[in-house]
Amino acid sequence: MNAMSEPVLRIDSITRMFGGLAALKDVSFDVEVGEIKAVIGPNGAGKTTLFDVVTGIQKPSSGDVFLKGQRITGMRADQITSMGMVRTFQTVRLFEGMTVLENAMVGCTSRSQKGFLANGLRFPSARREERQIAAWAEEVLEEVGLETRSGELGTNLSFGQQRMLELARALASDPEVLLLDEPAAGLNPYETSELSGLLKKLRDKGLTILVVEHDMGLVMQVSDDIVVLDYGEIIAKGTPEEVQNDPRVIEAYLGIEADSDA
Amino acid sequence: MQGDSRQKVILAATAVFVVAVLAVTLILKGSIGMQWILSGIVVGSIYTLVAMGFSIIYSSTRAINLAQGEFTMVGGMLMYTFTVQAKLPLWVGFLLAVLIVMILGAVFERAAIHPLKNPNMITIIIITIGFSIALRAAAKWIWGSNPVPARAFTGLAKSGKEIPVKIFGASLSPQSLWIVGLAALAVILVFIFFNKTMLGKGMRAAAENRDAASLVGVSYSTTSLIAWTMAAGLGAAAGAVIGPIQAAVFDVGTMLGLKGFAAAILGGLGSTQGAVAGGLILGILESVVAGGFSSGYKDALAFLILILVLLIRPEGLLGKPEAVKV
Amino acid sequence: MAAADKPDLLKSRTVPELTSGMRMYLIVAALILTVPLWARFIPGDVIHMDITNVMVLAGIYSCAVVGLNLLIGYAGQVSLGHSAFMGIGAYSVAILCTTFKWFPTWLGIIVGVLLSGVIGLLVGVPVLRLKGHYLALATLGLGEIAFILFRQMIDLTKGTVGITSIPPLSMFGFQFNSDLKQYYLVWVIVLLLLLFTINIVRSRVGRSLRALHSSEVAADAMGVNTARYKTYVFVLSAMFAGLAGALFALRQLYVNPESFTLTLSILLVTMVVVGGMGNLYGGIVGAIVLTFLPEVIKALPSFEKFNNYNLVLYGLLLIVFMIFWPRGIAYGLERGADLTSRGARHLHDRYRSRRIEGHSKDERDE
Repeated sequence: MNAMSEPVLRIDSITRMFGGLAALKDVSFDVEVGEIKAVIGPNGAGKTTLFDVVTGIQKPSSGDVFLKGQRITGMRADQITSMGMVRTFQTVRLFEGMTVLENAMVGCTSRSQKGFLANGLRFPSARREERQIAAWAEEVLEEVGLETRSGELGTNLSFGQQRMLELARALASDPEVLLLDEPAAGLNPYETSELSGLLKKLRDKGLTILVVEHDMGLVMQVSDDIVVLDYGEIIAKGTPEEVQNDPRVIEAYLGIEADSDA
Repeated sequence: MQGDSRQKVILAATAVFVVAVLAVTLILKGSIGMQWILSGIVVGSIYTLVAMGFSIIYSSTRAINLAQGEFTMVGGMLMYTFTVQAKLPLWVGFLLAVLIVMILGAVFERAAIHPLKNPNMITIIIITIGFSIALRAAAKWIWGSNPVPARAFTGLAKSGKEIPVKIFGASLSPQSLWIVGLAALAVILVFIFFNKTMLGKGMRAAAENRDAASLVGVSYSTTSLIAWTMAAGLGAAAGAVIGPIQAAVFDVGTMLGLKGFAAAILGGLGSTQGAVAGGLILGILESVVAGGFSSGYKDALAFLILILVLLIRPEGLLGKPEAVKV
Repeated sequence: MAAADKPDLLKSRTVPELTSGMRMYLIVAALILTVPLWARFIPGDVIHMDITNVMVLAGIYSCAVVGLNLLIGYAGQVSLGHSAFMGIGAYSVAILCTTFKWFPTWLGIIVGVLLSGVIGLLVGVPVLRLKGHYLALATLGLGEIAFILFRQMIDLTKGTVGITSIPPLSMFGFQFNSDLKQYYLVWVIVLLLLLFTINIVRSRVGRSLRALHSSEVAADAMGVNTARYKTYVFVLSAMFAGLAGALFALRQLYVNPESFTLTLSILLVTMVVVGGMGNLYGGIVGAIVLTFLPEVIKALPSFEKFNNYNLVLYGLLLIVFMIFWPRGIAYGLERGADLTSRGARHLHDRYRSRRIEGHSKDERDE
């Protein structure tokens, strides 16, 4: 298969300052192709800020991010998405007033090109592309099990389904690297185990996944590898077993065992 | 904090720029230059009065009232009706004009602003624009489309003409002193109100956090009403006093309001000191440009400044930062 | 925070089945194109106005408003300065066609449109970085600057005196110099622009615009180059407005700066709001309503004396609509049409089932 030892995502000494406060300090780690890596840590540890920096929503104060060997530090979010890395958000940010299908179709933006002129004048190439986008969107909806609700307003879905739609939307861009920001937040145990199964299926298809998560059950189930953040710094890295028994991690969390069933 | 040091740089740069303009004007143009500068200060005082109206409403309710200029216009019109047509004493006319416009402001606030559930800024802006259109049309209907005469407060010779006052080699109409004086008084009173009185401080708190303020005894609703009434009164006062210099006519409020707004943005919306700084700077720069270059293009200066401020530092010289750009 | 800072006023809505379809477009097009045919049968002294005549002006505004609706209603960016672009379009035609007698008027229109687009691009790129009301205020400033330039560049624009004797539009020797000809010229253009806009809204571009309106950050993350889209829509709306301005000049045959002030910008925005933002036909509905309103009032006998009422009314209308009906008339019409068609379908179904019952109870297949 792939003999490349180059990690698909390399995070290199990322520091992010807000005034005098360091939200992220010298954070470095690699994500290998086809692995599921979790980023955990207490609230306020900087996990979402890390995602924001990696996906171009914020700029780091120093350090670099490399995607597939290319330096993407400081690139716009939409450029990074075109390169194959996409993220979901901690708070559901569905597009209001758009149907489930339309939300998913927006995810296909980076895979399509036709613009104002071609679409305004309905060139055949634009019409073809539109059909293709609809097909891709329906595919991902099927993958997450929402294909029956495609005509409804996104905001009509239950919370758990909205989270699935967010995931579908991200998948619609056909990414190589998927960044999920607390995908299990607010999900009930059934939905969480569905999510866990879905993530593993995606990983088996070759997707690389980086997850920020509080739900320890999910983390332990799906992760191949874990990175622990506290106060913006990495305090531990390793397999789930290693991290679970790391005294520094236990200390940072205080009560990590009690959290193990969502 | 990064923001603070950037602000210091911008403040310093602006100060240097203004001083440079003043110096160059005086050196190159001598006493004419002094004339420009002094009349710039007078015009700037007018802008300051208008800008304060914007500031008060913004700092209390986070609303932008584009009908502020019309408050001034109506004040001037009423002043004409009371002191020229009805020949009432000046101070009576002044108080009546201010009072009536204050009521107007209060009525508008209750009718159009207060009922809004979760108003967003653009909705409010457009509503106030609608109000300004209605006021302008009503004024044109009531008072016609020609400028109306005004009575100067003091300094009249037997012939009825004003005796100019000489300052530093420049001559100003005596009404100018009244204008600057009124502006200074208004600034002081407003500053004391918002910083030293319980009600004023409560109102500022209400703007920051509606719910918390009502816990301390100042409801947001009261704050909004008082702010609008005050702004209307200030606007009317300005209109009542500038008559002899800037004749009142139904559409005088448009440019005046927009320029006062530009001044408020320049100085920093929500800050009294900002209104002063913005008003004076705009007045002086405008006067120098009009004198030295072209009086037709001088109007564009205010808008150029508006756009530049929005692009570079939307909170203005003395305002506090808010999320503005992408 | 996402919901709280999304104003009710500008919430995007699903492009409704009813109005995004071709059926609706054809019905609307047919209605509009047949107006002059029946309008002249209404006696002029009864309604005190010439419908076709007023509709030409409504059509000119519609040109600008269709683009502005896309900007405000779909992309969620408010511009209070679009009078500038109408002015650019108008003055381009006026200056070129009066200075050079040989200059073809249709070419003047094209120049006006392109110039509006270029200037829209130049000012749009820096200004569109601003959000919400800051953008609105910056565009207000730009509109005012444009007005001042029109007034002051006397060598070019003849200042407040204005430019007269603009020749009417003529193509291949055919002159558009009557109400009827101008009516069809303008409204065919509007219908074409509308078709273009409908296509855009229903496409990938339209979704990207609605996405960026709903949540700019999420749209960015999904691969939408939001800065570029905002600029494109702004430029497009500037060009539509430039076209409207050019048509305006070719109708009035006279331009002066007073036609292109903040009042015009606000009028355009009012048309979008009153007609219904985020509704494809909203702009046109608003343009027609607001162009006819002053005429209707003028026609009412009791109001003849007061001639500034219409502005007062207009200001009040703006206020009332912003407070109570931010979704505008078109939304109401659409709801009405939707309910009507649902009601009709319901009746139809009941009628069918009655017939089935009536025929034979054995044949019932429900």
